[in-house]
Amino acid sequence: MTDLLDNFLLRSIIAGTMMVSIAAPIGCLMVWQRLAFLSDTLGHAAVMGVGLGLLLQFPPMLGVLAVVLLIVVSLSQVVNINNALSETTLAIISHTGLAAGLILIGVLPSNTVSIEAILFGDLLAVTLTDLGMIFITTLLLLILLMRHWRSFVAVSVSREIAQAEGIQVRKIQLLMYLMIALLVAVMMKVMGVLLIAAMLVIPTSSARVLSISPERMVIFSALYGGASLAGGIFGSFQFDWQAGPSIVLSATSLLLLTLLLTRWVKRPV
Amino acid sequence: MPAELLIRANEISYSIGQKLILDRVSFELYRGQITAVIGPNGAGKSTLTGIVNGLIDNYSGDIERHPGMRIGYLPQKVYVNTLMPVSVERILQLTRSVADKEVDAALAQAEVAYLKHRQVQSLSEGELKRVLLARTTLGNPDLIVLDEPTAGVDVTGELKMYELISEFRNQLHCAILMASHNLHLVMSNTDQVLCLNQHLCCSGLPESVSQHPEYLALFGQQAADSIAVYTHRHDHVHDVSGRHQDHHD
Repeated sequence: MTDLLDNFLLRSIIAGTMMVSIAAPIGCLMVWQRLAFLSDTLGHAAVMGVGLGLLLQFPPMLGVLAVVLLIVVSLSQVVNINNALSETTLAIISHTGLAAGLILIGVLPSNTVSIEAILFGDLLAVTLTDLGMIFITTLLLLILLMRHWRSFVAVSVSREIAQAEGIQVRKIQLLMYLMIALLVAVMMKVMGVLLIAAMLVIPTSSARVLSISPERMVIFSALYGGASLAGGIFGSFQFDWQAGPSIVLSATSLLLLTLLLTRWVKRPV
Repeated sequence: MPAELLIRANEISYSIGQKLILDRVSFELYRGQITAVIGPNGAGKSTLTGIVNGLIDNYSGDIERHPGMRIGYLPQKVYVNTLMPVSVERILQLTRSVADKEVDAALAQAEVAYLKHRQVQSLSEGELKRVLLARTTLGNPDLIVLDEPTAGVDVTGELKMYELISEFRNQLHCAILMASHNLHLVMSNTDQVLCLNQHLCCSGLPESVSQHPEYLALFGQQAADSIAVYTHRHDHVHDVSGRHQDHHD
């Protein structure tokens, strides 16, 4: 088993598969609740986390986790029952986090982190430790999702109905934010901030076209995510493209293809 | 009144910051009765329904509730994101699973059985309202709370909606509390009217509320018309014109 995991390609495929399978349900929830922009915000702010980690000599992942947790917890305090997050607030946090992060990383003397690695990660350099972290996170998130799935879906449809019928909307919302934060923090090293945001939104959008139920949309999202991953890794090997960006482009190509094909087939709505 | 008391609200007040939304409002809801909350925009109607169904809990005053009471709720606006695929059937089972038979019965009761397998995004506003109305009848509620049930529904749909609500009351033998802006329909279809403008201006049977000076001051000519058209057997309108100085539109 360990010998097998020595193969870097296999490691990256396993890591990628786990990540697309957990990005699918969480991405769907984000899209349903109009939170697509939140992943971007957390991703950009995570750059500041990396900077802080370097400054205080923590592992970057802890810095990222601290920053994204701080953001989601404070955001959850300003959201009330009727209002989704304000786009403007998210944009301000996003740009500020990115700018502060870039300056921190730039001025620090022991400059071992490249901005490119932060943005796009390095899927083909997954270590066994990374793999373990991703496995534990994916498992934890899946368990939480399954336990609270009905509540998550109900809150996505109508916070008011959910609240009136006994669902603790604020708690569910906070739990969701925390899950998104954990996902971003753990997957960042491998996926990069841009890839995470893309994988939460693009396969989900393709899946929407083919779905008539929330669960079906999750499954299709995972399938699209997997196909994008395979396409991206293929592109990376075949043409020597960077793995991250080529995964994003293959996800977008699949979305366009799906939209084109469904022009001839009646939409299931 | 022999009917079973479900809710007794005692001096309920609620404010957001410095702004007083509800000022010492008291009322009672009985099983088998339809209670309408009327009042101008910003009168606190939605706040009141929100407090009754538990959406708002930081009010002052107290509410006695019948123990073990079940509430069905229709919010004023439900906007399902178009990116979310969800069927009518599923909407009825949003917070708990419901037997297929019950789903069918609820949809049939609101006369929308044919919408069962449709996607929610493909419904018109009126159809969505009917589906959500059907939702409120699931699980034998003791009280159904409707916040502007006819907002966004056309005139014929509106009449139909009130008919359905009356039927629910008879068949489910529950209490119904609804916020409404349609004076005509409210006056001819309810048992109790709460006329609200931050404070409770007046309350009681539609006939007595419609004579109340505060009610007439709030609604002016519109109020007089609603009575003339729907409940008065007379062939003339009472001397409301004498109160016209209160009328502002």
